[in-house]
Amino acid sequence: MLKVNGINAFYGKIQVLKDISLEVEEGSIVTILGANGAGKTTTMKTISGLLKPQQGNIKFLGEDVTGLRPDQKVKKGIALVPEGRQILAGMTVLENLEMGAYHRKDNEIDQDLERMFERFPILKEREKQLGGTLSGGQQQMLAIARAIMSRPKLLLLDEPSMGLAPLVVADIFKIIKEINQTGTTVLLVEQNARQALKVSDYGYVLETGKIVADGKADQLLNDPRIMEAYLGRKSS
Amino acid sequence: MLAELFNPYYLQIGCFILINIILALSVYVPLSTGQLSLASAGFMGLGAYTSALLTIHFDLPILVGIIAGTLIAGLIGILIGLPTLRLQGVYLAIVTLGFGEVIRVVFINWESLTNGSVGISGIPHIGREILKTLKGFGFNPQSMGLQNNQFIFLSIFVLLLIIAIFLVWFFRRQHYSRVGRAYAAIKLDEKAAESMGINITYYKVLAFTQGALLAGFAGSIYAHVLAYISPADFSYHRAVDILVFTVFGGSEVIWGPVFGAIFLTFLPEVLRFISEYRYMIYGLMIIILMAVRPQGLIDVNIINWIKSKKRSKRGVTHGSGSEKSM
Repeated sequence: MLKVNGINAFYGKIQVLKDISLEVEEGSIVTILGANGAGKTTTMKTISGLLKPQQGNIKFLGEDVTGLRPDQKVKKGIALVPEGRQILAGMTVLENLEMGAYHRKDNEIDQDLERMFERFPILKEREKQLGGTLSGGQQQMLAIARAIMSRPKLLLLDEPSMGLAPLVVADIFKIIKEINQTGTTVLLVEQNARQALKVSDYGYVLETGKIVADGKADQLLNDPRIMEAYLGRKSS
Repeated sequence: MLAELFNPYYLQIGCFILINIILALSVYVPLSTGQLSLASAGFMGLGAYTSALLTIHFDLPILVGIIAGTLIAGLIGILIGLPTLRLQGVYLAIVTLGFGEVIRVVFINWESLTNGSVGISGIPHIGREILKTLKGFGFNPQSMGLQNNQFIFLSIFVLLLIIAIFLVWFFRRQHYSRVGRAYAAIKLDEKAAESMGINITYYKVLAFTQGALLAGFAGSIYAHVLAYISPADFSYHRAVDILVFTVFGGSEVIWGPVFGAIFLTFLPEVLRFISEYRYMIYGLMIIILMAVRPQGLIDVNIINWIKSKKRSKRGVTHGSGSEKSM
């Protein structure tokens, strides 16, 4: 579904991504793992169009989407949930969700809103509340729900577990799994490697801008080398 | 009796209030995407000079001059808006302020065209043109009990009032439209708006250009109401005045700049009896307001409060009904 082919990306003169190639198959959940500064967020920004790669190309459903703007990519079906959630703090929960459907012109938006409120009952409760008054976990749910409102084929999630309590993190991963089961392909960036790999089909490990390992999620989980280097603890 | 009510002095203040409302909107609209622009005085000058020169030298009707002045300001607005997109907050403010000064200095130095710092006089007057046209149809203001002078200012006032009401209506509607939602999202969080599929380049340039069009329009009108313009009319002081209307009134809702323009245009006139102290009071009020209410006098909460007051006045049954539905 998504094919990233040898992309190089820079911030000014500093090269952040070095020849990154990865592939996401339709219907799967793929995780990109890595420490701070490995280039995970940059990879997401490049795929979503917020950053233009100097070299390489990105193919989505067989079509070259490398140079497209973010709004054009949303129309093609790639939606990003940015790092740190970035909900619109001054708008209500309902308005945030409506903004997710910004580019849509069909008349099923209300149905989708209802569906979101069914999946996230807490958002229904807080419908009229300003986004900024929600707790971290609720904001993350809102950010995910907002992205789904654009009816994406591919959902990009940038560190959805960041700064959340362990119980809430478990909730978020459960939701990701559910979203995937309804037919949305998910590309996930995480530091929370063990949890992320548990819900994923495939994983890539990123280190200082390069992919240093990749494999099926359960393989990565059981690879002692990977476990030690990236999951912080020797596997038992 | 009617004659006393339509004192040309009052009517002229009324005209300035309406022009200032349009100018305040020219800051409010870009600011609703988070762009703090101080270019309004410059765009106003462009509109004023374009329209004045066209009507004087080419004998074009005032309407054509005003349309041309507005469009020139809008065009330059696009040209300035595109490269300054990357600038935010105070940096954009400085660049746009610089732009305004460049425009002013061009007006001063391009003497063959603009008459330099002396300014341009003898600009066709809207009110007089209206009177002339109506007299051509056999109309005489005396039949309404008005003198020519009164009728001239009354006609401008009514015309501007209709235009100002239309503009406020238009931008209020826009605020609740797709465009307005995009503006609000960009103001709250540009990156989030972008990742949501909003073309931020398009909407930011659109907002900036709308501001330029408004200022250019207000400037063209200004030229044909005063019949005299000079570069000093479009200086840094004007830019700050316009900004203060919006900041003082509040930039969250459209009623803020409208109120700010009305109040701050009135105030120096009302305080005329204490002559030299009035600008001290003016300044003091701004300082106090900014310390107490940095969001401006009129904000969303006040509007909601007024709305709820209106609702409860309309009848208890209606109020309790809406409470149930909550």
